[in-house]
Amino acid sequence: MTNQSAPTSDKTILEVKNISVSFGGVKPVQDVSFKIAENSFTSVIGPNGAGKTSLFNLISGMNKVSSGEIIFNGEAIHSIHTHKIAQKGLIRTFQGAKIIKRLTVAENLMMAVQGNPGDNLSGFFRKKARREFEESARAEALRRLDQVGLSKFADEYAGILSGGQRKLLDLSRALMAKPSMLLLDEPFAGVNPTLVEKLLTVLAQLRKEHAMTFLLIEHDLETVMNISDRVIVMADGKIIADGLPNSIYENEVVIDAYLGSRRKDA
Amino acid sequence: MSAFLQPGFWIFVLALAGIYGIFALGLQIQYGVGGIMNFGHVGMMAISGYTIAVLVIKYQWSFWWAAFIGVVLAALLGALLGLTTLRLSGDYFAIASIAFAEITRYWILNTDSITGGTQGTLAIPDPAGIGGYTTQPDQILTWISDRLYPLFGEEASRDLSMLFVVWPFLILFIWISSKLQQTSWARVLRATREDDEVPRSLGKNVFRFRLQTLVIGSVFGGIAGVFWALQFALLAPEDFLRIVTFYGWMILILAGATRVKGLLVSAIFFGFLYGSTRFLEFWPLSLLSSPERAYLRVFLIGFVIVLLMVKRPQGLFGKREEMVLE
Repeated sequence: MTNQSAPTSDKTILEVKNISVSFGGVKPVQDVSFKIAENSFTSVIGPNGAGKTSLFNLISGMNKVSSGEIIFNGEAIHSIHTHKIAQKGLIRTFQGAKIIKRLTVAENLMMAVQGNPGDNLSGFFRKKARREFEESARAEALRRLDQVGLSKFADEYAGILSGGQRKLLDLSRALMAKPSMLLLDEPFAGVNPTLVEKLLTVLAQLRKEHAMTFLLIEHDLETVMNISDRVIVMADGKIIADGLPNSIYENEVVIDAYLGSRRKDA
Repeated sequence: MSAFLQPGFWIFVLALAGIYGIFALGLQIQYGVGGIMNFGHVGMMAISGYTIAVLVIKYQWSFWWAAFIGVVLAALLGALLGLTTLRLSGDYFAIASIAFAEITRYWILNTDSITGGTQGTLAIPDPAGIGGYTTQPDQILTWISDRLYPLFGEEASRDLSMLFVVWPFLILFIWISSKLQQTSWARVLRATREDDEVPRSLGKNVFRFRLQTLVIGSVFGGIAGVFWALQFALLAPEDFLRIVTFYGWMILILAGATRVKGLLVSAIFFGFLYGSTRFLEFWPLSLLSSPERAYLRVFLIGFVIVLLMVKRPQGLFGKREEMVLE
């Protein structure tokens, strides 16, 4: 563990084994395999249409794999429901920042807290337990909102937020679920650079204090350069490179994928 | 127009409003909270009403047990409807739910030997010759109207007793429902109304939440059926046409789908619309016969729904900002 950015654990938290998916003739993900070490920070980069979000949809169970296996914490998760995967501590965010417009900003966050007795109809009669849970969930929500500068909107409908603010809300909401592993789908696109810096600090802190594992999709290698231990590069549904951030910079195949294959033809 | 001055008219309007209020409460939790567009709600009312009539007349069950079984059946059929079709998205579920209510009605219409078919509950085979299904509750209604006589004199009718039975239940159910809608359970449902990927990705079993809502709404529909059966003491298949579901929708839209307490006011407005058109005797409506005028309510109710959708989609008590957020 001499390298500062190396994974702090050798234990594999997520293993993706030869997964593929096809929708009709389109094959967004083809035979992809990788292992993610616990408490690591991995970024997935690649041009548009490389299959990054499709990969996330498969891991989070929103789409089912056509073939292959996904193992999370030693359990196969590729054929179970999305909500069960989330309950196991694997939480994702969405590329378009999905927020619930007609819930308040605070409610959006409070919804994410796991183990709420009020989520079950049987909890209806446990009034005290429900109230206590709600109070602590709200306090935590306000703390998170403060972190991203949204606390003044706590009791406004989330629908009034701007695009960038929605991203922050989506990210904060995922964190409210206290995941052991977080899949972030372009969380920084459209967020101002100062805030990106701040968020990266928050993520690094979570990684350190709560041993959280991160898998992040990003367009721009620069943004994730410093925070990532490892970068996986995808193009046309396949992994074309996988390694330390620095090594990716100089990788010929990656440069080709980003700039197009004409360079080779020329 | 003098009919509007008669207490009997208002007693009928309010009794009807109470029953339809409970009916619309079922739609409110399904649509207003869960975003489920149920256009077959009338089926639940038909099932519980007919279950009572058949069990009491044909099999001499006690009214109370029959009513209980009626509501349980409505709930079970709500669950069956949900399990088979709730995975369909919005509009498709709405279509399936209409089909469900129509199947129920046609089944009632065509199983003469059990339900009395086109002739309604009067034609249910009656081995004990009891001639109806309301004997037991009627004793209670009579007891109530005897107590009301000193206060209301000649107005202490069966309808008035019904009013005193239905409204406490309506208020109780609205209270329970509004408490339920303050829970985090309802918060998850409100989220599913907009987008079910978000709650799913946060560990919520969206299907379970929606199924529960459908069943709870069906229970309210079933209970409304019990009171309906009691109020009219006679059921026929044409009492459960599709339009009845839309009466419930009008009440809901008028109140504002997310505002459960608004149902109290809009149900009364509906009861008035429903009961009053028959008595509108001024020209040119005076050219129509009284039964023809009674059907004006269908036009009026349609007109109110259209007007609301255009001018005030959030209803009387809803918040406009909830409707316009993008």
